[in-house]
Order: sequence, then C-alpha cells, then structure tokens
Amino acid sequence: MATEEISETKASSSLLATLREKLALKPMWEKLTWTWKPETKREAGDAVVRNFVLHWFPAKVSLESLSWGYSFWLGTISAVLFLILTITGGILMFLYVPSVERAYLSVKDLEFSTSYGWFLRGLHRISAHLMVAVVFLHMVRVFLTGAFKNGRKAVGQNRPLNWIVGVALLLITLLLSFTGYLLPWDQLAYWAITVGTNIASSAPVFGDPTRFILLGGTTIEQATLIRFYVLHCFLLPLATFGLVSYHMWRVRKDGGLACTEKRYEEAKKQEQPAIASKTYSLLGITGGTAVDVQNVMIDDEEDKVPSSPYLTVRLAVVTLATTIVSILLTLLVRAPLEEAANPAVTPNPAKAPWYFLWLQELVTITTFTVGGITINGALIGGIILPGVLVAAAVLWPYFDKSPVSSIGRWFPKERKWQNRVFLIIVAAILILTFIGTYMRGPFWEIYMPWQEWEQTPRRF
Amino acid sequence: MFSKDAIKLYVMGISLLALTAFVFFRENTTDWRDYQAEFRDLVTEKFGAERAEQVPSGVQQIWVKDLDRVDRCVTCHQAMEWKGLETAPNPYRTHPKGILEKHPLTAYGCTSCHGGQGFSTTLPDAHGNVEHWEEPVLGQEVSEAYLIKNSKALMEMNCNSCHRYDRQTTGMDYINTAKNLVEEKDCRACHTINGRGGIIGPDLTYEGDKPTEQFDYGRLTGRHAVFAWQVAHFQNPKMVSPDSIMPNFGLSSQDAQALALLVMSWKKEPIPASYISGVQLRDVPTPEEIAKEKEMLEGDGAFFVQNKCFVCHSVSSLGVNSAAKIGPDLSDAVVDVQNRFGRTLDDFLMDPTGTMSVVLATQIPLTTEQRQQAIALLKVAYQRKLEQQIKNTSPSPTPAGK
Repeated sequence: MATEEISETKASSSLLATLREKLALKPMWEKLTWTWKPETKREAGDAVVRNFVLHWFPAKVSLESLSWGYSFWLGTISAVLFLILTITGGILMFLYVPSVERAYLSVKDLEFSTSYGWFLRGLHRISAHLMVAVVFLHMVRVFLTGAFKNGRKAVGQNRPLNWIVGVALLLITLLLSFTGYLLPWDQLAYWAITVGTNIASSAPVFGDPTRFILLGGTTIEQATLIRFYVLHCFLLPLATFGLVSYHMWRVRKDGGLACTEKRYEEAKKQEQPAIASKTYSLLGITGGTAVDVQNVMIDDEEDKVPSSPYLTVRLAVVTLATTIVSILLTLLVRAPLEEAANPAVTPNPAKAPWYFLWLQELVTITTFTVGGITINGALIGGIILPGVLVAAAVLWPYFDKSPVSSIGRWFPKERKWQNRVFLIIVAAILILTFIGTYMRGPFWEIYMPWQEWEQTPRRF
Repeated sequence: MFSKDAIKLYVMGISLLALTAFVFFRENTTDWRDYQAEFRDLVTEKFGAERAEQVPSGVQQIWVKDLDRVDRCVTCHQAMEWKGLETAPNPYRTHPKGILEKHPLTAYGCTSCHGGQGFSTTLPDAHGNVEHWEEPVLGQEVSEAYLIKNSKALMEMNCNSCHRYDRQTTGMDYINTAKNLVEEKDCRACHTINGRGGIIGPDLTYEGDKPTEQFDYGRLTGRHAVFAWQVAHFQNPKMVSPDSIMPNFGLSSQDAQALALLVMSWKKEPIPASYISGVQLRDVPTPEEIAKEKEMLEGDGAFFVQNKCFVCHSVSSLGVNSAAKIGPDLSDAVVDVQNRFGRTLDDFLMDPTGTMSVVLATQIPLTTEQRQQAIALLKVAYQRKLEQQIKNTSPSPTPAGK
C-alpha cells in the first residue's frame, strides 16, 4: 500500500510529496507502529508481518499461550528486565570508570552528584537481582509443566535443546550478575567475589587455572576488574542476546508454548483409528493398516486470536508492570555501597552474592572434621553438588519418560514424583539461600533474624 | 479479554507516569536545594538582591587533585569566604579567617581537616555518621560523645598528618600535649616512632593506619571504636589487652585523649611535595636529648640501657632513669632482693622467680656472663648509692629510712 502511494506521489511530483518521499516518513513510521484496533483480519496480520518490532511473533496466537496462569509470563518478564538492564547499563557505562583507583569514586559520584545517578544505579541493581530470581522461577515453571518435552504437534520439535539453552541462559544470568557485583569496588563487592572465586578454585585440576584466568592473576586487582567489566558489559550481554534470540526462535519452531499440545492431543483422541484393510504395494497385496497421515486439523479460527492486538497489548502490560515494580523497589531499597575495597580487611562475615549463598551454605555443611582430618566442603558442596545439579538439569529431558499427555499442564499425575523431587531440591536451595542471607552472622554463626549482631567497629 | 487488557494497560501507563514524576520530584527536591534557597534569602536580607544573584546554584565542589579530594561541602556551606556572615547560623557561617590564610580552600578542601564524606550531598552521609563511612565530621557531635572539652581538638588529628614532625604547632594544644608526653614518658624506650626507638612494644610509626577490625573490643564497654579503644588502652593497658606489658602511666582522660589523637594521626599518607616543602621529614632530636641519650648509653649504667632493663627499672645511682618506673630502683637491689625474696642477688638473677623469670625468658634473654656482669654492676651501684647517701647526709641530715 505504502509503496503504491509513493509511486503515485512521484508522478504528481509536488514539493511536499518529494520531501515526504525523501524522508520516507510514512513507511518508516508504519514499520515501527501498528494499530491496536485493526478493522480487518488482514490489517491485524499485516501489523505482525510488516512490522520490524513484531516480526518474531506468529500472526495468530492461541488463547492458552496468552493466559496469565499458565506461564506467568516469566520468560517475557526476564526479557523485559534484560532490556531495562541494557538501557540503564548503557548509560552507566558513560559514568563508571573500570579502574581500581576510580571505580569506587565514580560509584560515589553516581550516588551523590550525577543527575539521576542514584536512580540509574538502583534500577540497574534491582533489575539484576529480579532477573536472577525471575529466570530461576521461569525454569521452575518449565520443569513443573513438563514444557521441555517434545509433543506431536509440529515437525522438527526439539524442546529438550531449548531447555538446555535455557539452562545456559540461567548460568549466564548468574555470571552477568556475578561479574557486575565486583564493579562498585567496595568491600561488599571485593569479598563476595573473593568467596565466589575461591569456591571455583577448589575444583580438581581445572580449579586453580580457572580462577587464574578469571582473575587475570592470583589476587583480585586491576586485571580482574577490567576482565569482569568486559565480560559484564560486552561478552555476556552479547551471549545473552544471541541465546535469547535462539531461545525465542526455537519456541516458534517447536510449535509454540507446550500448553498448546493439549488441544492437539484432544483433537487427536476424537479421530477414528485407522481401519485395518488390504493395502496394495508394488509387490502385491499385503496385510496391515492403511497409511495413516498423522495430521490432525485444528480449527484455527476457533481458539486463536490475532497477535495484534491481543499479544501486543498483553506484552505492553507485562513490560509496564515489570518496569513499575523495578522502579518501586528502586525507590524503596537503597543500593548499598560499603567502604572502598580493602584486601587487608576481611569483613566478618564475608558473604558471596545472595544467589550463591546456598552454595556457601553447602560448603559449610559439607566441611566437617573426622578424627583430626578436616574435609574441605568446597569440593563437595561448591563444585560436585552444583555440578551434578546442572548436569542433571541438562540431561533430565532425555530421562523423562512420562506420556505426551502430561505436557503443558501444571502438576500432572504422570509426573507427580519427578515434580516432587524437583520441588524438594528447589525448596532446599531456597532454604539454604535464606539461611545464608539472613541467619549467618559474624564467624558464620547462626543468628536469628531478630538477633542483633556485634557492632561494626568504627574509627570514632 | 482485549478491553480488560486495555484497561490494565491504561492503569499501568498512568502508574508509570506517576512514578516517573515522583522520581523527577525526588531528584529535584534534595535538601541542598533548600539550603541554597535559604542562603539566597539570607544574602538578600543582608546584602541586597544584587549580591544574592551572584550566589552560585547547583552542586558545588572543591576538587583538590593533589590530595585526591572532591569536597561538595560548599554546596550547602556556601558562605565559607564571604565577609560579614561570621555570626550567621551554620551552614551559612563564614569560615574563621586566620587558618584559611595558610590553608586556602582551593588547596586543602574541607575534609582533609574536618573529616566527613566530601562526595556526599546529603546531610547524614556528608557528616559521615553513617554505616560504612569511617571518618565522620570531627566536630561537636563526636566531641560530645567522648566528653572532649574542646570540640575542635579532634581535628588536630588531621592537622598532624602534615605537621607530624613539628615539635610543637601553634593552635594544636592536644597534639602538643601528647607530643610532650611522648618525650616525658619516654615511649621510645619500648616503641619505635618515626624510625627511632625500642622494639619491646610494636612500632607505632603507622599506628593510625591499623584497620578498625584489627582491634579487640571485647573488653571495652560502650562504643566499638578505635578512638575509644586507644583512650581506654592509654588509661589502663591491661584492662583492654590483658597480655600487654605496657605500664599504666595513670594518665588523665584528657591526656589519654590527646595521645589517642596523636597515635591515630600517624598514618602513611602521601602528601604532595609542594605541601610540605622545606619541612624536615623526620624526627630530629634536640641537643639536650642527644646528650641525655648519650649519657644513658655511655655512662656507668650503659649495660642496663643497652639491655632494656631501664624500661622498667631506674638505676639512679648510675644515672639510669626509667620513665615508666614499673619495677623498683635497682640501686639497692643487693639488699632489696634479699628482703623481698630471701635470696641473694647472685642466686636470684641466675634463677629468677615471678615477673623477672618471665621477662628474662621472653623479653630480655641474658647469657650467664651477662648475668654475672649485671650482678657485678648492681653491687657497684649499691656501693655508689651508699656513697651518695653519705655525701648527702653530711651537709644536711635527712630523716632515717629515706
């Protein structure tokens, strides 16, 4: 339509039209916007097909996939948080100096004198914490609904692969947060990274070299800061962007959300089974069943709606809600900034970032003394157990033999036991994280949340 | 479904707009803006609207590159160099002029003397009485907490960063007192300070750099702070650290506070050369001190000085004078040991009991020959004492027993 218009105006060659043509105002505008009240189905479909922003959506989408209660939109929320982090992080890159002399002071500047610096830093920090939590919850949702399982709806499904991509994305999210943790270069940052990287170094054979490469040496210094900075601002976001794109593309390839498999299965049940008959082959008559084309027609018009506006409006609601929650939390929780990093003074207690505190707890639990020999838990609790968990997560789809009918439903009977085991692991991680965060005080002793810790010493 | 979602979208949109407005409001209603407005009113009232227009607005700062300081105190304390506001209430008061002549704001900033957090633009953070900020403003609030009479005394700690090698500095009464005490109590007998002194106690040259976490506050009542620890330790070393062999000098609380400020000022701070040009960067002893030291080290009692006995004991008849005087004067050790332990001096020194057994085992290891030398010298010392007594008694007799 737009191109026709342009060619017409070309013919008339009025000044205004030429100008419009040169600026290509209308086509570009149309490429970026769409009507949210399409008059016709064609207009609705056009919006998705023609629009750059919407092109990754299908033209039509099933109502189940849009429901709040099935997916809780956790993947979308993660993506929105990543967007907030990219925008705030991009601005912060102009203001933060990744050098051990200036880093801490530039964060102080952000807090006190840069316009909206406190807001940018707070929002970036809160969104990062939320992203870790939401990505984890997204994984929990996918597991509980068996959404990593292939159904029978689409050809070329590979949901297990997409699940593995998801596990990789969770790990990258943790790494992103972990690398960002060091950047303020205060005591909190310095010692959290010390604890975190010390756990890594306890891995056999690869432990120390890994730590050496990560830190750019044996101690956390300038080499570490610039490495973490480049990882945090460039490599890891790039990897996230690439993997998220692939993750989304695979969702489309796999025939959409797993919950849509249900309707296919229901429709299939109503089909008549193939009739036993004579079949002619090239070599003559053989016994058996007729060729049964396993294709079930589902009436698209019945349960599907145009993505524009149904999906787009919901997407906008989720985007706004996520932004609002992040901003509200930013206003309520002040981002901490402790003393400048001091390798000579270990805070008591020294804690890893909160999402690794369950590991620190595991290390504590698996460290014990038997007959004068102390077993260091860093290997068992810090490397082997989490390693086993990640490996189990990666391989799980290939061991899950539950029937196709259990895909895309919450708490199906067929997957009762694996969901229970999974939930117990999740609960254990959450409980250990809670203990590590709120109940560990000086000398890693247990303190009840209402119990007061010793005073932090001061100069005056 | 669509219309419901549309309503949600409107609600969310309006909420986000409201939140954005709130963030904008919060950014633009900071306390320092109020202080600047009030200052402008004050200037208008006193000097007229024209002067008020010259008052700068926005975050103000003094950046002292050489000292690596960014002090935004002047954002609220705008009258620092104004004439005529000497009696105005803070933060609008003019800074006392005298000190600024030698220490201009542009070269020193604020926090290098006053403490506090120069980066901050909010009152609690700037004045530094917040968690994770070690150097609060050294003024009234801290002084009151420690019952220090002169609220400006605490600042002397920071003055002494540059003035540490001065014997006495005008206006630094507490530090001057403390420096006198260091000489008077002969702290160098045990401690090395600025490269000179003994090795019985720890080197104190950079005592001020010792991190807060490295003190044991377990026996301290009240605030867990380095200053509190230092004051308590000066007043009663054994109470704060039971293993300490440092004597209790019976210092007044003011003297203890002065000494605490002095030791806390001893930091390894890089000071640009231009700030301390012409200053002798080491402790230069006076001729009298050198003479006294020489006399102690080369006189008849040199043995007791070289082997650090003089840290606790005077041997007055041999000219050895202990500042601490923890143990008895050894001039009459020959009879005193007999009286106290019922053993001869020879016997006791070869196989001591009590404190001396600990000291000779840990602090001052003496060989058998050295012990014999000590016994011989102590006998000389007693002889000398008796002679001195006779000399003293002949012109004017003293009462018996003295």
